[in-house]
Amino acid sequence: MNKGKHTFEFKKPVSTSEFDPNFKSEVLAYPDAQGLNACFSCGSCSAGCPIHEVFPEYNPKKLAKMVRLGMRKEILSSPYIWYCATCRNCVERCPQNVKFFNVLNVLKNMAAREGYAPLAWVQQAKQVMATGIVFATEEEWLKKREKLALPSLKEGQQRFKKIIEQTGIDKIKPRIGTE
Amino acid sequence: MNKYALFLGCTTPTKVPQYELASRWVCKYFGIELMDIEDFVCCGINQVNLSIEAGLLMAAMNLALAEAKELDILTLCAACTGALAEAIERLKDDTIKDRVNEKLRDVGLEYKGKTKVKHISRVLYEDIGVEKIKKEVKKDLSDFRVAPHYGCHYLRPMSAFEGFEEPDNPKSLHKLISATGAQPVGYETLNLCCGGKSFPVSEDLARLLVQKKLDDLADKEIDAMVLQCQTCYLMYSDQQKEINEKYGRQYNLPVILYPQLLGLALDADPIKDLGLDLHTISLDKILAKQA
Repeated sequence: MNKGKHTFEFKKPVSTSEFDPNFKSEVLAYPDAQGLNACFSCGSCSAGCPIHEVFPEYNPKKLAKMVRLGMRKEILSSPYIWYCATCRNCVERCPQNVKFFNVLNVLKNMAAREGYAPLAWVQQAKQVMATGIVFATEEEWLKKREKLALPSLKEGQQRFKKIIEQTGIDKIKPRIGTE
Repeated sequence: MNKYALFLGCTTPTKVPQYELASRWVCKYFGIELMDIEDFVCCGINQVNLSIEAGLLMAAMNLALAEAKELDILTLCAACTGALAEAIERLKDDTIKDRVNEKLRDVGLEYKGKTKVKHISRVLYEDIGVEKIKKEVKKDLSDFRVAPHYGCHYLRPMSAFEGFEEPDNPKSLHKLISATGAQPVGYETLNLCCGGKSFPVSEDLARLLVQKKLDDLADKEIDAMVLQCQTCYLMYSDQQKEINEKYGRQYNLPVILYPQLLGLALDADPIKDLGLDLHTISLDKILAKQA
């Protein structure tokens, strides 16, 4: 496998003076992250993580610890937090009901607001706003549907746009260098 | 008569219409009535990456649309199933429900908490049942050895599915496969994720997960993998081909979606009713075997 794309590394060691003492409470203010309070670093999340298995640098247990240490910049700027396959093994297997997947989403939402969102998800959000689904409909697909006598697809849902726009998802900019 | 709102999701109707075709055929066969709701939008599962709230609102809007028609939802995609089921779980909290409904009211919708969501396989398993399926089988598929693959969001989190399945030891798809006469084969990486949700951000990593499962299945002498999600399908078919081209591998494992396997057993037309000619990895061997 070409690992060339995965050369980013957490800066280490980081001096404790660079930690952000408020980061943990900033994260825990989100209801989805509150489970983190109960984490005792057993590592069940990492042990069951399919991405961690093929790419050890993505490490849920380590990320949970980094949040609690206040490593704000290291986490939010890390491309690794976006590698999660969303399989929810970490949610299912955690003895403390931390729901690491949900904690990670809080971290990703924060990272996105600070300009670290991957281009793929920014483009997809824009696409959803435009058509209601994650793709731009291609002529070839429509023809295939017609040939199979499947119902036509409706596009451009105006009323749903009105609700979703309020979340600011369409204003999120992709990570610099990927746009 | 079972009646559901059919939730197609984004990927099935555009990229894997054969899954939709076979699902509609199978549902019609068993008298499961499917209502198309054209205002349905994306389930919101990927939107949570950037905004948990946006994802929840999209799921809630879809639930409200089905509820307005007094229907439960039947899904084809494992991920849509998970996204909607997890939203239902979240919306049991009145504070969250009130906040979401305040926004939905702006567009004339409300979610009261009545509409439930079920994946097509679960509908077949619970509403129709393996005994009834067995009785309907018309073709002998007993020569078929297949590897089931459940799809993560079909199983987890367990709390969102009323304990329907045991995520680390699932059985329903095995039983549904056995009901068709085909033999489900056990293998070590049964619960390994297809990587589909990592793919948009990290294609190489996602393909590593695909290869791991294909390597595990290489010596199992199986005819096909049986899937119940179009994203898993795209990973194990289109990406299987891509892996061969990119990394010089020679995988050639056919993949089939459960309603297509069931359709074969029920003597549906493989092309006209099940779209078996539309697969990236040729199903010719399977078609020859069942003919």
